[in-house]
Amino acid sequence: MQGFVATKLNEFEQGKISRRKLIETLALAATALYSTGAEATPAAEPGLQVALVNHISYTCPNFKQAGDWYSKVFNLDQVGLKDTEVTLPFGKKGEKPYDVTAKDVPLTFIICRTRDLNAAPANGQPRPQSQAVVNHIAYTIADYDRAKVLAELKRMGFDNPREDGEHSFHIADPFGYDVQISGINMTALTGG
Amino acid sequence: MERFIADLVKRFEDGKITRRQFCETVALAATVYAAGESAANAAPTQGFKMISVNHISYACPDYRKARDFYTSVLGMQNAKDDGKSRANLTFGPKRGGNYFIARNAQPTNTPPAKSVVDHVCYTISNWNDARVNATLKTHGLNPTGRSGSVNVLDPFNYSVQLASSEAENPFI
Repeated sequence: MQGFVATKLNEFEQGKISRRKLIETLALAATALYSTGAEATPAAEPGLQVALVNHISYTCPNFKQAGDWYSKVFNLDQVGLKDTEVTLPFGKKGEKPYDVTAKDVPLTFIICRTRDLNAAPANGQPRPQSQAVVNHIAYTIADYDRAKVLAELKRMGFDNPREDGEHSFHIADPFGYDVQISGINMTALTGG
Repeated sequence: MERFIADLVKRFEDGKITRRQFCETVALAATVYAAGESAANAAPTQGFKMISVNHISYACPDYRKARDFYTSVLGMQNAKDDGKSRANLTFGPKRGGNYFIARNAQPTNTPPAKSVVDHVCYTISNWNDARVNATLKTHGLNPTGRSGSVNVLDPFNYSVQLASSEAENPFI
């Protein structure tokens, strides 16, 4: 909490936020912390802590084609088939995410969807245009072995996968989306 | 398996199968069961066995703004920052965890994909609606959604969803 207060105070002193904003922010932060009993942990900051990717929402022209492709390449089951989407969990029911000990963190999944992203949302509010894109997703696979991965990619018809470092290859899915296949040794410190 | 054996014993006791048939059937059942277990635990015969998302590559006009948002609001750790155009932010377990690359968008010759990752949802452990909403508001955000799941926009209007395991679970 103290670090957060210092940060906000610096912002106020540098003219980045008004006095009113400073007061409101600190009051709300304190309320949020005390309402959850977090004051018992003095080092806690009033931020959240994401545990894992819950899901990737992937919108494409043909969700069934996408679902089948991801199922084939990554051996994923399809559950929750609906009119315009299908869900692909990264494992079987009852399994835990890799190396996660918390009981309330579910398996990550992909939702392949077909929908009009420009359609007006249900609440009638205009949807702001994003200035950012997720230009690729990398997936970690088990037992990464460069030669075996390359051979399997070629067997599946990916003739020219682009190698990226020691532990990954890039391929394109049926809609030209960049998919990176990585070993577990590709990390934030070692990988791109 | 237990039910199968029980039925078999009953058939044997009723004289519907011989001792030899009983033994042969149990042995065969055990072999099939073991083969099934092995098959279930074996590496897939084609394709790859997915473990997790490795990383999300996020391209935007100013990686610093994204870095600051994802670290301060979502608690990601800045693990590697070149100070110029990208930062790698980690979260999740140390091994097999995820990272988020905040990078400045660069011109590319690659044809645009016909598809898009329109949002990413992150799991928050020990979910508490009041705490999550209050914390997001602390950061000047306007969370919308339902119990167990909220949506906010990051500094570049990219949609970010936060959810509990109950609200966003592939098997519920």
